Amino acid sequence: MTRGTRRILSVLLAATVSLCILFPPAAPAARDVAAELRKERGRLLQMKEREEKTVQELTEALRMEKRSKGRVGELQEQLKRQRSLLSRIDRKVSALNERLEGTEKAVRKLEAAHGQARTALQRAEVAAFAGQRTGAGDPLHPSARERERHFMRAYLAADAEGVDRITRAQERKAEELSGLERQVAVTEKKMAREKKVGDTLLSRQEEERRRLADIEREKKRKEKELKSLRAKIVRMESVVSRVERQVKERERRAKKWMAPGSAAREPAEAPRRFASLSGGLSAPLAGKVVTRFGRQHDTTFDVTIENRGVEIEAPSGASVKSVGQGEVAFAGAVSGFGNVLIVQHGGGLFSVYGRLETFLVKQGEAVKKGTVVGRLPGSPSGKSVLYLELRAGGTAIDPTSAIPLDS
Amino acid sequence: MSERPSLWWIDWRLSRGPLVRETIGRFLFFCLLGFALLSLLLSGGVSRILADRFAITAVLRAEVPSAEGEGLARKAAALPPVRSATYRDPEAAWKEFLRAYPGLDPLRGAGENPLPGYIEIRIRPDRLTGEDVDFVASALRSVPLVEHVLAGEEWLPRLLRAGRLASWACWGIFGGFLAAFFLVGRLQERARAVALAGDFAFLAERGVPAGRLAFLRVAGAAISGFLLAAAGTAAGGGALFLFLRKFPFLEGGIGPPSDLLLPRTVAAAALFSCGAALLSAAASLLGWRAARPGRK
Repeated sequence: MTRGTRRILSVLLAATVSLCILFPPAAPAARDVAAELRKERGRLLQMKEREEKTVQELTEALRMEKRSKGRVGELQEQLKRQRSLLSRIDRKVSALNERLEGTEKAVRKLEAAHGQARTALQRAEVAAFAGQRTGAGDPLHPSARERERHFMRAYLAADAEGVDRITRAQERKAEELSGLERQVAVTEKKMAREKKVGDTLLSRQEEERRRLADIEREKKRKEKELKSLRAKIVRMESVVSRVERQVKERERRAKKWMAPGSAAREPAEAPRRFASLSGGLSAPLAGKVVTRFGRQHDTTFDVTIENRGVEIEAPSGASVKSVGQGEVAFAGAVSGFGNVLIVQHGGGLFSVYGRLETFLVKQGEAVKKGTVVGRLPGSPSGKSVLYLELRAGGTAIDPTSAIPLDS
Repeated sequence: MSERPSLWWIDWRLSRGPLVRETIGRFLFFCLLGFALLSLLLSGGVSRILADRFAITAVLRAEVPSAEGEGLARKAAALPPVRSATYRDPEAAWKEFLRAYPGLDPLRGAGENPLPGYIEIRIRPDRLTGEDVDFVASALRSVPLVEHVLAGEEWLPRLLRAGRLASWACWGIFGGFLAAFFLVGRLQERARAVALAGDFAFLAERGVPAGRLAFLRVAGAAISGFLLAAAGTAAGGGALFLFLRKFPFLEGGIGPPSDLLLPRTVAAAALFSCGAALLSAAASLLGWRAARPGRK
């Protein structure tokens, strides 16, 4: 739940609770108003719950959207790397195929050369041993014949060596060819595997994109719903304000009737009224004001909201003290606000403490200024926030105007 | 004082006609024998033919350059038994080989020449012996540039033995002709002595001793034999000279014409003439004795 939403809820809650406490049903007309107020309060509570739920869902949608976008980005990066890898493998396969083709040509050439060399060797052997030479059988030149025989042996040896050399080269090329074929097979298998991985990544990306689109649709729907709820809440607030005005009018009439001539106190005098309390006012705890009173712009939802109180950031588990002397008018859980405690200071002055973890006083118990009324909850960050609202005559006033708070 | 007639050339005075015929015949025979003798002397029997057919081949290593091959050939030519040493580079060896085996040329195609260069060494005809061939072959085998020496170790002894036999046969034939000349000469001398027996008896009755008569006839036969042999050998030598000039290819078997004028050839011819004189004298004496009364 965002901070702005909480503020809106707090205002509504405080108004509702205050009205409930301030105006007990004393007469039939008052009972009608109280009934109407209860009815409106019930509707407001429902709206709050719905809004809180919607905000939670929206927040969840935003988180999921962010996570999904992150995943899409990661998938895109992986796909890019995968495409680069596939491209490299493809180039390697092309190079291997070229080498394979060249080696196959060389093998064919060697086979042809081997055949020719063997044929030549066989014919030379026939020529050598069948006496197919010019002047064969000439016994008058024995030295020449001896030399020719020697050279024929050298010729045959050279031819045989040539055949052996070609055979060895052929075997080497065949081995190289076999190795290249194995390499090509392995690389193609790897490429197929990587393509499969790429396809999987693509499908995952598509799936993630679809999920993201769903999340975005859900987000838009929730935003619309939230907007609608807020509009309703605003309308509800106007209803409550009208009822409050009626109550104030009635109170004014009653006081006029009880103390004729007393002048009506203006809302602008509210801080002075709080200051005139017995013993004065003090800060509920030491902390820093992180949310100010009045109209504030919420950047998350891009809306302007009306804050009826302030939020004070303090260490987790800090003690919350009563700002002045009075009586505990309400201590209980309020949806969207956690544990809420209201102290009635008399003269239409109230102080409201929200987001407490525990109450240290009970409803109806008198408290003095500085009495510890509750504690803030613990938090992993070590910081918690206290909601503080001051109301004078049904109107929220800026707590920082009546109490010295560190801003 | 009575004049005593000279007994020299008594046969010429008493029987001129038959003696002229015999002399012509003997001259022609000596021409033939002189031709044969000089041919045998020049050729050494069949030595020159064998020396022309036989050659030692020193097969060089493949990497030996032409300059070193030629240098080695010059060194080989300087060996005493060597008549000539010729270097043939691998290209020439390959061409010779292909001439011997013309069908091999297209078989090899673009292949390189597998044959090395070689040196062909020919031995002097008069030094063509097993010892000299071994000497030359051993000298060549000790040279690092030489890979193999082909000296016909398997067949050369047989060839030399056959050559010796052929030479002996040639000289035997020549000796046979000489013997035939002797026998024919003896018969001619006897026949002439028988024909002139009356004249010789007449001379004996007048006090001419038979021994003196026989001696003078033998001396005359020897002188005429020497002169005829010398003339016939000279004529045969001239004919051989012209023959060799006309048919130069015969020089390989016989020898160059210039060798006819070598001192050893001339000395051999003179010795032959002396031998012919002795044979003529012996034939004359034997013919005389055979014609004496009481002998057949």
